[in-house]
Amino acid sequence: MNINIENLSFYYGETEILRDISYTVPQGRFVGIIGPNGSGKTTLVKLLSRLLTPTTGRILLGDRPLADFTQNSLARMIAVVHQETGTEYQFTVEEVVLMGRMPYLRRFQSESSADYEIVNRSLAITGCTELRRRKITELSGGEKQRVMIARALAQQPQILLLDEPTSHLDIGYQQEILELVKNLTTEGITVVAVLHDLNLAAYFCHELLLLHEGRIKACGQAAAVLTTEKIEEVYGIRVLVTPHPVFGTPQVSLLPGTRERGALRKTRHVHIIAGGGSGGELMRDLVQAGYYVTAGVLNIGDSDWEAARALGLPVISEAPFSGVSEERHRDNLKIMNNSRAVVLAEIPLGHGNLLNLQAALTAAKEGKKVFILEENPRRERDFTGGRGTELLGQIREAAVICRDKAELYRKLAMIEGLAGTNAVFKESGR
Amino acid sequence: MRKKYWLPVYLALLLFLFYSIMAATAIGSVPIPVKDTVRVILSRFISLETSDISRNTVSIIWNLRLPRVLLAALIGASLALSGVSFQGLLRNPLADPYTIGVSSGAAVGATAAMFLRQLTGLNFPQMIPLFAMAGAFAALFFIYNMAKIGGKVPVVTLILGGVVVSSFLSAIISLLMVLSGENMHGIYFWLSGGLILRSWPQLWFVLPYLILGFIVLFFYARELNVLLMGEEVALTLGINVERTKKVLLFVASVVTAAAVSVSGMIGFIGLIIPHAVRIITGPDHRVLLPASALVGASFLVWSDVAARTVLAPQELPVGIITAFVGAPFFIYLLRKKKREISL
Repeated sequence: MNINIENLSFYYGETEILRDISYTVPQGRFVGIIGPNGSGKTTLVKLLSRLLTPTTGRILLGDRPLADFTQNSLARMIAVVHQETGTEYQFTVEEVVLMGRMPYLRRFQSESSADYEIVNRSLAITGCTELRRRKITELSGGEKQRVMIARALAQQPQILLLDEPTSHLDIGYQQEILELVKNLTTEGITVVAVLHDLNLAAYFCHELLLLHEGRIKACGQAAAVLTTEKIEEVYGIRVLVTPHPVFGTPQVSLLPGTRERGALRKTRHVHIIAGGGSGGELMRDLVQAGYYVTAGVLNIGDSDWEAARALGLPVISEAPFSGVSEERHRDNLKIMNNSRAVVLAEIPLGHGNLLNLQAALTAAKEGKKVFILEENPRRERDFTGGRGTELLGQIREAAVICRDKAELYRKLAMIEGLAGTNAVFKESGR
Repeated sequence: MRKKYWLPVYLALLLFLFYSIMAATAIGSVPIPVKDTVRVILSRFISLETSDISRNTVSIIWNLRLPRVLLAALIGASLALSGVSFQGLLRNPLADPYTIGVSSGAAVGATAAMFLRQLTGLNFPQMIPLFAMAGAFAALFFIYNMAKIGGKVPVVTLILGGVVVSSFLSAIISLLMVLSGENMHGIYFWLSGGLILRSWPQLWFVLPYLILGFIVLFFYARELNVLLMGEEVALTLGINVERTKKVLLFVASVVTAAAVSVSGMIGFIGLIIPHAVRIITGPDHRVLLPASALVGASFLVWSDVAARTVLAPQELPVGIITAFVGAPFFIYLLRKKKREISL
């Protein structure tokens, strides 16, 4: 049965919660409602389950308005798994699931064997058969949620609404519950669920509905809804959307939060010389701590180059798989000249990046603060037949050597004026 | 859940109640053998030779003890029944028949009746129960309408409203007691709860409310179960929540008011009997309601026996006994279960 939402608006008093929502949920589809807190997700589910009445607009089940159903016939059509369900009462699992038969029982009628049969099936589908004699109060969060879904299934609904069904569960249970729910759609049940986790939503739902400030920001297939621009606008965060490595559904990765970085340029500039994955974590930490971070020279496609790009850092880039050119080297020296400190990450030393070492040495000789991060001093990383080690030795004489990142962050924070007032590391540094 | 499973429990509780009534009728300042008691009572229903028992004994059993014992059973059942209903309806383990102020309303009504009688000499049969009933209904309607917000009655406002109105009514009772001077003792005795000098008229007064109340509440047992899961859950399971609340509130209050009207404020039964029974039966109201009524009945029968005999020939208000027995028993249950008390 389709759910047709037509020009739906909801006001709580004077406050607009939902505005002009129109959407059709096709039968047998799993639609995920996503959006930031306060965007109206739960309100939409409550309107769909008729716990709230629309201010304007309407909802149709098929072609019949939701408002026309009696409370009882609606309960046979729509089952709801609520965000919080009172489970402090010592009912057994079977008793709870049997409550799902409520809409089918007349007042003086007791449960028939057919009802018990349906309860048994609901328990089996949700994997709760073993739990049937247990008290609901003794169950774990995941088990409780499965029981609530079993109760909903005992209603034999055509539509299942779930409000954050996995919010208190670990990743294993989240997957279990969502797989279970998705399987129901193969029996023609239409599922609408409020989900917080964008990646789970993208992975499991057929369609997504992204709400923002009470309106539909985007809807349809995950790839069309979960784009960098939309997520950044709606959630006010910086993200990187990449395809799932196996299935290609969108995956959302967090990036450090937005900050006004221009003003930091003069005072809090740290340049990082990295490569081959030695600098990604470093860049992230320093960006998060509020530094203005630059990097170079990095080969395009190098994992550190990807990291710097993802973080939106200015990078001196070199063509893939080629050595550092004189031109890029000069750019590197120039940007370094503006920085307050230079960090030399634990890079592998090769002929291609000797010029990067040269740059660090130049900076050190000119009196720039240079830090060498050396977390594994015994590891062999010179592939230049000694030239690299020699250069490094020269840099060491003028630089500060740090044995781990924490030490580096502390020492950076101690440079007068560099750390700024909101530096995270300053407080932890002694 | 399945009725057959609980049948032995009901039978055992019924048998115990029957035994309690017989034994309690036999106990008193003039001891009567239980065998004779049973015979006298049964002789009313089947032809039985009782000529060897003195007319005096028959009169004691029939006019004094039996009605009082039966009344104790009815009151105990009423209070336990409405206690279960209020706890389930309000989803609050501290709720009892007195929570929402109905009993305070009844107490004010009864106190006012006694005060009026003293002041104006006005008197008519059943004056105190009728006044108490009126007071209870006045309190119920006041609290219900006070708690009503936009056609709905939120549970929390209902409880808070009940507590506040109860305090206010208690102040009125205190005032009436002070004003009534030498009659204060009578009012105090009534408030403490007791069954002294109660007989058949009071019994017939309470009985219809209990029977009708029990039938209605029992038919709403499944709704009560689902309501425990929360009002939104109940709605999505097809229950008309506000109507159900209204019906249950009204019926449980009527049952309470009827009991309080004739017996005064007998505390603890409505609170502890449901909890004690729930520990054994679980929260299913289809079992809980009848089982609590039967246990409550037996409990008050024995409490009244104690009230009559402990300081004989002086009688104690039975409310003192229920509190004395009930509180430690409740603490024992809490400690023994060593877990949070819940519904």
